[in-house]
Amino acid sequence: MREDSCGKIQCPSCLARANLAVPDAPLDAHAQQQRPITRQSFLRGLGALAFLPLLRSVPAFAKDEPEAKPDMAVQEIAPGVFVHQGQYAMQSPENMGDMANCAFVVGDEAVAVIDTSCSAICGEALRKSIADVTSKPIRYVINTHMHPDHVFGNVAFKQDAPTFVGHHNLKNALQVRTDAYLTANERMIGPAFQGSEVILPDLGVEKKTELDLGGRALILEPQATAHTNNDLIVTDTGTDTLFLGDLLFSVHIPTLDGSITGWLALLDDFEKRKAARVVPGHGPHAMQLPGALKPEQLYLQTVADDVRKLIKDNLPLGEATKIAGYRQEHAWKLFDDYNARNVSAAYAELEWE
Amino acid sequence: MLHAKTSSPSVSLAGLKRGASALLCGAFALAAIAALPAPAKADIDDWPGLKRTVFDNRDVIEEDGVVILDTPQVVQDAALVPITVRVPPEVKEPIKSLTIVIDKNPMPVLAKLTFGPAAGTGGERRFTTRARIDTFSHIRAVVETEDGKLHMTTKFIAAAGGCAAMNAKDPTTLTDGLGKMIVKTFEPALPSTPIWEGMVMLKHPNFSGLQINPNTGDFIAARFIYNADVKRDGELVFNMRAGSAISTNPNFRFTFGRGEENVLTVKMTDTDETVFEAHSEPSGT
Repeated sequence: MREDSCGKIQCPSCLARANLAVPDAPLDAHAQQQRPITRQSFLRGLGALAFLPLLRSVPAFAKDEPEAKPDMAVQEIAPGVFVHQGQYAMQSPENMGDMANCAFVVGDEAVAVIDTSCSAICGEALRKSIADVTSKPIRYVINTHMHPDHVFGNVAFKQDAPTFVGHHNLKNALQVRTDAYLTANERMIGPAFQGSEVILPDLGVEKKTELDLGGRALILEPQATAHTNNDLIVTDTGTDTLFLGDLLFSVHIPTLDGSITGWLALLDDFEKRKAARVVPGHGPHAMQLPGALKPEQLYLQTVADDVRKLIKDNLPLGEATKIAGYRQEHAWKLFDDYNARNVSAAYAELEWE
Repeated sequence: MLHAKTSSPSVSLAGLKRGASALLCGAFALAAIAALPAPAKADIDDWPGLKRTVFDNRDVIEEDGVVILDTPQVVQDAALVPITVRVPPEVKEPIKSLTIVIDKNPMPVLAKLTFGPAAGTGGERRFTTRARIDTFSHIRAVVETEDGKLHMTTKFIAAAGGCAAMNAKDPTTLTDGLGKMIVKTFEPALPSTPIWEGMVMLKHPNFSGLQINPNTGDFIAARFIYNADVKRDGELVFNMRAGSAISTNPNFRFTFGRGEENVLTVKMTDTDETVFEAHSEPSGT
């Protein structure tokens, strides 16, 4: 259990205050807050928390490994290109973290994995799906971006000693979020999250980079801030398949954790690209350009337009989250889980235009 | 418009060890749930201590309708939680001060506003800003009326990690445009309305001292707006003393009493003693 930061000698706020001209009212009251945390008070706190509606139900932690295993079935969408379609859901004990698409590409010599789902157990199941298809070694594990549902299965591939690959910003982005990601996903997934850990990339991609799998190469292209500040797209030259990660959502509402203007601009670029097929981060196994982009462009543009109008009408942020984007409610799954959050992020960005 | 005096670094937090809640950085999509540390002190009632230190143990009248607090039912981003305090139009008398307290934040006092002659009466008075929430906590708005009585309303906010989170999605752009400042006077539909609304927004990272620099792994030194003076046509609307929990790019909306020109002038000072000043255009003339 973490300690109250105020219990530390070097509490930043206390230091900050010590260096300030202190206003009439004390800005902190730490002295009054330091009380020992007993096991009893901790348990009472837990009990109190259980009634908070925001907390999803978590089953009692079992000592044994969960009996059920996630089904990480894959489909071969092009020769040597396999995709597992994640569920349209938030992470839960039931789905064990299987919510994002993951894929692997089999070359003459080696295999590259692209995204690993949201838990060690999903990563292990994906690894088994790979073993069912090929015995070639796994040379690369590529993460399209930092989000938990794309990285927490990495740990299952440690035994293969691959090179872990991501956008050059991925390492920092994961480092500052490691604790929060672990804490939140453990809470949401429960015992099935056991053994999951953050594996930082060995290779940070700064410019267009080619990875060889023998007889076919993968081309990696880091992108400017859009869905996140560490989006990486991957092209399999063997089949002209383009993996867009979460720069492309289908059915599952897009989630904004980067820049809405950056993302819209990037989608304009993607419209001009040619590929035999694209694989979304959330959505069906494979889709076609440019049609695949349209619903997402419409959603993001709607949010941007609504938010700009509400800012112009002097509506504050809190009010905007109740209004903007709702014209798109019918078009997406998990709309209520993410729309207001997207609007909040878009507002904070667009109010400075 | 902007005076920037960027000398005198006054708050240095170099050498802080990683630890405690500072590592609870913004879990995207999970801000409200990333709260395992919360149970440990969720049952501790901080109010008696806060009442003593912040309000000198004075009597506080609770939930008597003098003050209303609007907070989101579901927090979208713990580093950007919109908070509105309202004094409804039935309350006729002038307000001396408003204090917003977030019990469990490292600096519990979010802001204390002391109102001046241009604060106005004769309609609903409001104050809106955005706060960082460190962990599941009560939030309180305490209004001091002309007669010296304190009136409080309390809400609970289920969110965590906001004080340590970078709410810039792209940390490299955090200090871009620092000092850009916009002040607006919103002219009401009926200009004779005695209470008008204004807004100030400042491009400023408002570093809490609990955020980690992703490049070095060290804490970023606290640098936040601690004082603001808002004037209408040269008369004081309010003075604000603020803690470190105002969100990045501080944004304040407030009401004021209608004047002649209704030019709002705002002067803000951060903990580096950098001064930011701007004014709105005249309206309603």
